[in-house]
Amino acid sequence: MIATVKNLLAYRELILVLAWKNIAVRYKQAYMGLAWAVLKPLMLMLIFTLVKSFVGIESGDIPYPVLVFAALMPWIFFQESASEGVNSVVAHTALIKKIYFPREIFPLVAMTTKLLELGIGFIILAGLMTWYGMVPTASILWLPVIIAYTMLAALTISLFGSAVNVYYRDMGQALPVVLSLFMYASPVIYPLTLVKQKLLVEQAAGDWSNILYTIYILNPLAGIIDAFQGALFRSQSPDISTLLPGMIAILILLPFSYLYFKRAEAYFADVI
Amino acid sequence: MAVIEVKNLTKEYQLGALTSLKDNILNLNRRIQGKPTQERKRFKALDDVSFSIEKGEVVGIIGHNGAGKSTLLKHLAKITTPTSGSVNVTGTVAPLIEVGAGFVPDLTGRENIYLNCSIMGLTRKQTAAKIDEIIEFAELEEFIDTPIKRYSSGMAVRLGFSVATSIDADILIVDEVLAVGDLSFQRKSIARMENLIKEKGKTVLIVGHNIRQLERICPRMLLLRHGQLAMDGDSGQVSKSFFDESTQKNSKGLIHDSKLQPATDTEEMEVRSIDVNSVQKVDGISIIPLFSDLIIHINILCHTDINNAEINIGLHNAEMIFVGKASTSLLKNAINLSKGEHTLAVTIQNISLSPGPYGIGLGIYDWARRPIWSGSNLQPISVEISPEYVSKLPIGTLGYFSASWDFTRQKQT
Repeated sequence: MIATVKNLLAYRELILVLAWKNIAVRYKQAYMGLAWAVLKPLMLMLIFTLVKSFVGIESGDIPYPVLVFAALMPWIFFQESASEGVNSVVAHTALIKKIYFPREIFPLVAMTTKLLELGIGFIILAGLMTWYGMVPTASILWLPVIIAYTMLAALTISLFGSAVNVYYRDMGQALPVVLSLFMYASPVIYPLTLVKQKLLVEQAAGDWSNILYTIYILNPLAGIIDAFQGALFRSQSPDISTLLPGMIAILILLPFSYLYFKRAEAYFADVI
Repeated sequence: MAVIEVKNLTKEYQLGALTSLKDNILNLNRRIQGKPTQERKRFKALDDVSFSIEKGEVVGIIGHNGAGKSTLLKHLAKITTPTSGSVNVTGTVAPLIEVGAGFVPDLTGRENIYLNCSIMGLTRKQTAAKIDEIIEFAELEEFIDTPIKRYSSGMAVRLGFSVATSIDADILIVDEVLAVGDLSFQRKSIARMENLIKEKGKTVLIVGHNIRQLERICPRMLLLRHGQLAMDGDSGQVSKSFFDESTQKNSKGLIHDSKLQPATDTEEMEVRSIDVNSVQKVDGISIIPLFSDLIIHINILCHTDINNAEINIGLHNAEMIFVGKASTSLLKNAINLSKGEHTLAVTIQNISLSPGPYGIGLGIYDWARRPIWSGSNLQPISVEISPEYVSKLPIGTLGYFSASWDFTRQKQT
């Protein structure tokens, strides 16, 4: 594990250069350039705000657009890191067949690219918070930690997924679809407090309520999005009890995912 | 110290496409019924190959298409993993497996240099120190800030070669890239390779089909045949054996394909037969001893009068290169072929061609040099060396001069 991290440090420059290449290629011949990066969360925020005005989602004293934007930021970062990560190995066929370097660089590059877009998201968020007169507290220092944890969650999927995708392209087709559905199982449109309220307080599902809640927070993104919003708006440090089930899931799955990737890696050039 | 150590390297590939869900279900069904399942065929691209290369050695790898040359390079560059056996490489490897492998069309030349260098393991600083030299060698000063997609293919290849040879790797792996760009750039790139080899003492592996070029650069050669290491040694010997192998294959082809059929035919005449005088025939092929005369009899039937005709007759080797021609245009008198049958005897004196099979080519033209009848490989002959000359005559030539030698001892002054 330590050797792996060391190895990656040695290749950090390559990761940065490849990420820069991805961004340069994507936006170079686009008139609006990097503005496209924030279009998706902004549009979704507007749509959800519109929907909310019909169905009524309780967002407490935090303005709904800001709340939903703060949920979309880690969500889109996770979703796109994972789905682009899954396709990243296949997308670099030419390189894989010619030159050797650790192949996990490709999913990492996909994620690094998304990290930049996340950074741009923060500029928009700062604008929104200023508009609503919200002042962040020192708890925003938790954000880097939360983002780092989100990266581990995304890697769990992209390492395994990208290796499978080399053999069976079904993975690259299926995963984006599955992930976009998964958004509804994560507290993006609605806040986690609402789920807690329904299941833990009102026991809406009867005897199953507590179990259902645990299953719900097994999804690492439930804890991540809640912690993200908490650090930004409620000056809270991350709530371990909400994060724990997802963390356990990742602690178990990430090593498995990484080992599978490394085993499959040796034959990428033959199969791809 | 061996920098490359290959032991019993074997690589198998599965033929055919990846098994799909459908195949899996069918196989499952067969397994339930106790029938043999359908397995994909396996193919040995490399078969028990062992060799080692010392630091500073320059080794050429030759072999026919599909002999496993590129698969071998892929193993040395760590791109793929052996099925069995081991490959140990000490030091950094710069693969030129395909020049410009990592080029991105949308980025400019300069950006691509940074990208390619960092793929090959250089830091930004190291690249910045080399970039001017890279651009200069590639002769792209003017275009370096233009996206690569606007480059001509020669420009991209030049840039790729320049980048790959500028990286200070211990081992260079080259796959048929010496012949990049136009002639002047080719000369420049060969000079650069030679500089890398001689001045900087790099270990270099070159795969190629241009054996003569390889022979010049590499003192040692590996010959691969059907995935096996057929020969490993002095490049002169290895390339000779490879040439002999190819010549044999070519010769068989020449004799097999030989037939009396024109390539151009205006139907104003027919060539009915071409015969060669020879004392000896083996499998229907006339044997002509080296330095003897070759007499060819040609039987022609003209359907019209052909005045002022020109007849060329020549011999070509298995590579379809004519080694000599004789022509009636050098005669003082014009040749007039009247309607009817003619027999023509041509004597070619003192055949001094390198031993091997040759084909006869014939061309007949009218007064305006319009071809009436022409064809090549109409009849095979085989020039053979008599025992008295074997091992005396030099090899590696298309033919021999009859020369007179005069040695005079110079008086001491």
